[in-house]
Amino acid sequence: MNALEQSLLAGADGLEPAPEFVAAPRRAGREGFERNGLPTTRQEDWRFTSLAPLAAHAFERGDPAAPVTAAEIERSAGMPFGPRLVFVNGRLRADLSSAHGLQPGIHASSLRHAIAVSPGLVEPRLARTASIEWRPLAALNTAFLGDGAFVHFGAGAKGGVVELVFATVARQRPAASHPRVLVLADAGSDATLVETYVALGDQPAFTNGVTEVALGQGARLDHYQVQDQPSSAFHFTTLAADQGPDARLSTHASALGAAISRSDVTARLSGEGAEAVVSGLYMADGRRLVDNHSVVEHAVPRGTSRELFKGILDGESRAVFAGRIRVLEGAMKTDAHQSNSNLLLSRDAVIDTLPQLEIYADDVKCGHGGTVGELDREALFYLRSRGLPLSRARSLLIYAFAREMVDRVALPALRDRVGRLVAARLPDGEKILEAA
Amino acid sequence: MSQESSRSAAMLEVRDLRARIDQREILRGMSLTVNPGEVHAIMGPNGSGKSTFAGILAGKDRAEVTGGSATLDGKDLLAMTPEERSVAGLFLGFQYPVEIPGVGNLYFMRTALNAQRRARGEEELDAVDFLGLAREKMKLVEMDPAFMNRGVNEGFSGGEKKRNEVLQMAVLEPRLAILDEIDSGLDIDALRVVARGVEALRSPARSTLLVTHYQRLLEYIIPDHIHVMAAGRIVLSGGRELALELEKKGYAWVDEEAKRGAFGAPAPVAP
Repeated sequence: MNALEQSLLAGADGLEPAPEFVAAPRRAGREGFERNGLPTTRQEDWRFTSLAPLAAHAFERGDPAAPVTAAEIERSAGMPFGPRLVFVNGRLRADLSSAHGLQPGIHASSLRHAIAVSPGLVEPRLARTASIEWRPLAALNTAFLGDGAFVHFGAGAKGGVVELVFATVARQRPAASHPRVLVLADAGSDATLVETYVALGDQPAFTNGVTEVALGQGARLDHYQVQDQPSSAFHFTTLAADQGPDARLSTHASALGAAISRSDVTARLSGEGAEAVVSGLYMADGRRLVDNHSVVEHAVPRGTSRELFKGILDGESRAVFAGRIRVLEGAMKTDAHQSNSNLLLSRDAVIDTLPQLEIYADDVKCGHGGTVGELDREALFYLRSRGLPLSRARSLLIYAFAREMVDRVALPALRDRVGRLVAARLPDGEKILEAA
Repeated sequence: MSQESSRSAAMLEVRDLRARIDQREILRGMSLTVNPGEVHAIMGPNGSGKSTFAGILAGKDRAEVTGGSATLDGKDLLAMTPEERSVAGLFLGFQYPVEIPGVGNLYFMRTALNAQRRARGEEELDAVDFLGLAREKMKLVEMDPAFMNRGVNEGFSGGEKKRNEVLQMAVLEPRLAILDEIDSGLDIDALRVVARGVEALRSPARSTLLVTHYQRLLEYIIPDHIHVMAAGRIVLSGGRELALELEKKGYAWVDEEAKRGAFGAPAPVAP
């Protein structure tokens, strides 16, 4: 391991003792990371995403007790719109959280607490869905397994919303945190989970989250990730979902900030008739990089998956979209589609878009599409010919491109927030919001 | 300022304008004077340069201007951005209005009007006040208010798009409206609505420049002057009788006469 890798792993050997179902994956994660280290561009999945910029910083493990005020959280993550659990450097902070308004049948707590009091619920699902093989960052996260968030939507729980805020706090020195989330959506539940990732402090923050989701029969989960960190931050998330029969997962990511932002989504449709909707909006400018990798695996018949990612790239920014649809043997009547559209605002921005279809079954419908384009010159002239200044006309058209993805956010309060965050990254942003 | 004192009373003054697209000369010495209160029509066969001329006046950058001048109220149009021209009072009604999904029609028009009001030092209109104004203007063009909640021209039929152009013109109240083939693809009812919109703006302080292939529009909007364009410049100017003559004879004779040199020597091609 190099110095950076050693600093990232520092402290993994001093964790508090845990039951074997936690300690075993912890060891495996640590060994995996020690063996493989951080990913390099020699690995296929990281071909276009170099982590070399990380080497300039000596990350320390962020202090979970770091002083953070409620006002700081509200400034960076917005006002809460329901029960909100706030995690500082990976650990639940009761002083910043409120479970007020949590609906009956829904349980949200620290993972540490759940491991202690509900091992029967946690053990069968913890560190089972998110593979650490070929996933060095998930391995690094798992090396610190033991705390994080636990959300349980009980059987038949309807309409509840839980919001998790993860703050990586890097005030004096560069800091790393490895937030962990376990979500159980029991049969027939229908709920919404929001993950908001923020970075506080002037120093570079390294956030490396892993979320595991298990959906029971007929469960429906609307899952959102919002990332609007400063351009000094490094952000990595792994989302791994396992879907039972007729379960529907919709996961939507808004990746707006950070120097490097990388998301790995794996949705496995392991019950018949399951449906996965994986979508996201990403924005980058300057020399920032945003990377969305996804694997949707159809393991059984009659599964449906829809993927739609849209990106807006300016300056010398770079984006990667790699979407793999894997239809395993016997998964007949699979219906899968994937699309990635990009708006390039500068000649120096680069998108690498890599759709991959792996089909081992007959009688399936699989497709992919997408576009890479610039702002429509005719539309730009049309707006300007009515007196709109160039910058306003551009912002309007950029927002119009993004709007479809903002509108996919079903929760009105979150939709407003995401819309504001997108607009805030455009000139005259506050004024163009009314256009929607 | 000397420029102010020497400027003519003309609203639009185009002198010997030359332009090309991809090395091809489209305008070859276009000259035109439009005074306040006048309605002019430019007619001509396809490819004569009419639409290019309209686009250049509004600041469309597809064509490259290689010579000549164009002023609006004495100000150099060609040195202005499209938005500056709009704020100065120029309006282009598009032959093919652009669909812009994701930008609300109502918001778009309010933003446009406020950009102009701001430039004139007037108070901006809030959403409520603007809605009142827009409703009134919608009646004028017989437009269903539901169209205001859609994206700009999104999914509009050809006729609805043209009504939307006239609505924008009615809202913005330009000094000079240039309407490029506003009649193309319109039925009689829509044509009547468009004409009403143009007539409503007719005043001693405003001017209109109609660009059209057909004389039909001129039965509804009576122009003061008609010009015939061929090969990048005006070859004939006259009154309403010229439109009738064109209607009878078609454009072929204009082309032939132009070739014979009947309208004077062809303008020299700019280097």
